Amino acid sequence: MNQIILSLGFGLVTASILAMGAVGFTLQFGVTNLFNLAYGETMTVAAFVTYYTHVDMGWNFWLAMTAGAVGGMLLSYVIGRFIYMPFLHRGTSQFAMVMVTVAMSIILKNVMQIFSGATFYSFALGPEKPVHVLGMDFTPRQLAIMGIAVACMLGLHLLFRYTRMGKAMRATSDDSSLARSVGIPTTRIVGLAWMASGLLAGLAGIALAMDLGTFDTNFGSSFLLIIVAAAVFGSVGEPYGAMVGALVIGIASELAAIISPDLKNVVAFGLLVIVLLVRPQGLRSGRVQMRMDVAG
Amino acid sequence: MSAAVISYLISLLVYLGVNSIAAWALNLQFGVGGVMNFAFILYQAMGAYITAVLTLPKSTVIGDQTYILGLSWPWPLPLLGAAVAGGLLSLAVGSFALRPRRRDFQATVMLVVSIIAETLVVTQPHWFNGNQGLYGIPQPFAARLALDPNGYGWFFVGLTSVSALLVLLIVFRLTNSPWGRRLRAMRENADAIESLGTNSRAESLKVYVVGGALAAISGGILVEFIGAWSPAAWGTGETFIVFVAIIVGGLGNTFGAFMGALLVLGVFLELPTYLPQFASANTEQSLQAASIGVLILIFLWLRPQGIFPERRRKLADQVPGSTGAGSQADTITLATTRHNFTTGADGDASDALTVRDLAKEFGGVRAVDGVSFSLPVGKITGLIGPNGAGKSTALKLIAGAEKPDAGQILLDGKDMAGWPSYKVARLGLIRTFQHTSEFGRLTVLENLLTAGPAQPGDSIGGALLGKRHARKRQQELLGQAWTLLEEFQLTSHADLYAGQLSGGQRRLVEIMRALMAAPRILLLDEPLAGVNPTLRLVIEDHLKRLRDEGLTMLMVEHELGAVERVCDSVIVMAQGKVLASGGMVELRKNEEVISAYLVG
Repeated sequence: MNQIILSLGFGLVTASILAMGAVGFTLQFGVTNLFNLAYGETMTVAAFVTYYTHVDMGWNFWLAMTAGAVGGMLLSYVIGRFIYMPFLHRGTSQFAMVMVTVAMSIILKNVMQIFSGATFYSFALGPEKPVHVLGMDFTPRQLAIMGIAVACMLGLHLLFRYTRMGKAMRATSDDSSLARSVGIPTTRIVGLAWMASGLLAGLAGIALAMDLGTFDTNFGSSFLLIIVAAAVFGSVGEPYGAMVGALVIGIASELAAIISPDLKNVVAFGLLVIVLLVRPQGLRSGRVQMRMDVAG
Repeated sequence: MSAAVISYLISLLVYLGVNSIAAWALNLQFGVGGVMNFAFILYQAMGAYITAVLTLPKSTVIGDQTYILGLSWPWPLPLLGAAVAGGLLSLAVGSFALRPRRRDFQATVMLVVSIIAETLVVTQPHWFNGNQGLYGIPQPFAARLALDPNGYGWFFVGLTSVSALLVLLIVFRLTNSPWGRRLRAMRENADAIESLGTNSRAESLKVYVVGGALAAISGGILVEFIGAWSPAAWGTGETFIVFVAIIVGGLGNTFGAFMGALLVLGVFLELPTYLPQFASANTEQSLQAASIGVLILIFLWLRPQGIFPERRRKLADQVPGSTGAGSQADTITLATTRHNFTTGADGDASDALTVRDLAKEFGGVRAVDGVSFSLPVGKITGLIGPNGAGKSTALKLIAGAEKPDAGQILLDGKDMAGWPSYKVARLGLIRTFQHTSEFGRLTVLENLLTAGPAQPGDSIGGALLGKRHARKRQQELLGQAWTLLEEFQLTSHADLYAGQLSGGQRRLVEIMRALMAAPRILLLDEPLAGVNPTLRLVIEDHLKRLRDEGLTMLMVEHELGAVERVCDSVIVMAQGKVLASGGMVELRKNEEVISAYLVG
């Protein structure tokens, strides 16, 4: 029982990281309908920016973390604006677009490798004393990760619900040509979606590196499929679904780790495959729901 | 030449053979069939493992390796076993991975499968000796021939060449057959090929299995040459290299795939070893990988069709008697060959199709709300109504493109409600699309041929028998297609890609293609939209003639003038319901109909 509650704690931390990653992934997918397999590299780049500013330049960690997140945001925007969108505007086919994102992932990963080598890096944050909360153990760092994730989700909720920009984003995600015809500047919205997505990817990457302790050039892309699992679980293109997906995948994989650590990814991947096969539209077939919200 | 140079040349040739087979296999799946196999390397690896354990003696004999089987089979049985294993594995994976409709979802599932398989091989060391991998795999005939290393090398080059040529023959026949044409059509537009009676998931699975078997052979030859195989040899990144080869070479082009394999091997894998080293080995490797990524982007931007684009298959000069007035075949035979209706239990003998209480809801909106009507045999029934009335949805429900929530669709006394579109099409109910759905990178003639029923070369077995086997039927269909092209005045465009035609011409292609399928009932979704006035009249005349020949039609159309000229009776829909039906003349006076149009 104790072990289960303890694992539930780990699950909540993983879910927090996943939530940021999955919502960012799904937001970008919803608006551009692009399955971006280079998303993991945005996470890695953000972690490296944080490392560089914190360890090499001696910035305060939280400042460095902000720098990393902004780095992720800019990278995501630049790739979206100058690589993906031109291809999409040309009418590049869906499968060719997947190749474009794979190519981008390979380029980013290997360029990072040229500078960083194949070694592991650490933010060198030092050990911390765990805090007990309801039978679960968290380090202050993990509490911070959960706090950031909750703040992000709340912020997104307010953005979607109450701001014109958020509603416009969801309308574009729902039906971009309809959105354009009612006067929503979709190009700007798409740009904003790339930035928001990159920001979330960056935060997820940095949080993952904090939680794991070390990272290398591969760590973002190896986590990507678990993020995709969470996003798909909650129906791709649906931010609220992605949050639910993150919770389910995060907790389920940590619980499975009680039995064997090898099972962690197997459970996440298993869920991904099952959802893609059985209900590719995800748990909430949320698109119509979304349209109603915007109209109402 | 020194012995070292010769030995290097030998290994280059063997690698070229192996990589070519791999490229051909992936090209068949992805270039021709549009199936994105992101687990490709898994099948090559599986072939290598199975070849190894079929060639090696029992695991206990060699000592510190553990593995399954160990059957000491003689060449070429291990390769055949590998092909079977690769095919079976593809069948197992493909039967679920090909379920999602989006190709990127399929690719994601395959990527996951590939990663899970890698984990399994590592964590189950009794299968293929885990992370250490298998080694000491005897080379075919090496012991018996007792040649010097390079002499044996040349012998192995010979074995590889024979295998590669065999694979080439298989791939060539499959690609250039009616079955290959169907695969290319599926790649271009899966919905459209389904509407012509093809179960696209089944065809995808077939090409996935064939490709998986061929990939396994390439892995088998590789392991026979190098004598060892371990998880390090097949990272998921290796899949990408094969994709690069076929994209650069030219998707869908068999020769292009070979040249792509040569190029990738030469320029990216071998050339760097001759360049002066300017950085650490790791850095050079990263640079190499990054430049492969850049190359992909450059190609997809500047030349997405590759260096050797898919060949345009010109067929016009094969049409029997195409150069004269020899259009002896008449469309009459087309329309009436399948025109025999059996009446349902309580159906009227004069109705070809009966729809009862059909309903479909999209997220709370009742697009079709309890619609009932019949299509009289040999008549054109119009389906009109304001935007959003549910006309197109009703047509899609009948054609099987959408599943109805409730209601019956009766043909021959059978309720087809909920059938997939390919099954509906096989009963002779053929539709056209609101948005033109031509197969863009097939020629106009090829577009028409894809719809032709009963083609001997339209299966893997038939395709392997070669062109001669399929020629007779092909000639018949070409004759029929040419007659249609003459009537629609498109003979000069016969050998152009359908994607190059104007919107109106593409619509004609679609109508002709539907007619080639010898329909009993034709469902036309706005056949006149985007067609210029002259062509409209041609289409209208043609529809009337087909009607006179006995073809039953349902036509969704906005232009009321055309409906009045063409349709025998008209059904008016508004807000998902049938508002009225009858002749156009009476309907024009119907207050309800008028207000529905004005309000809608």
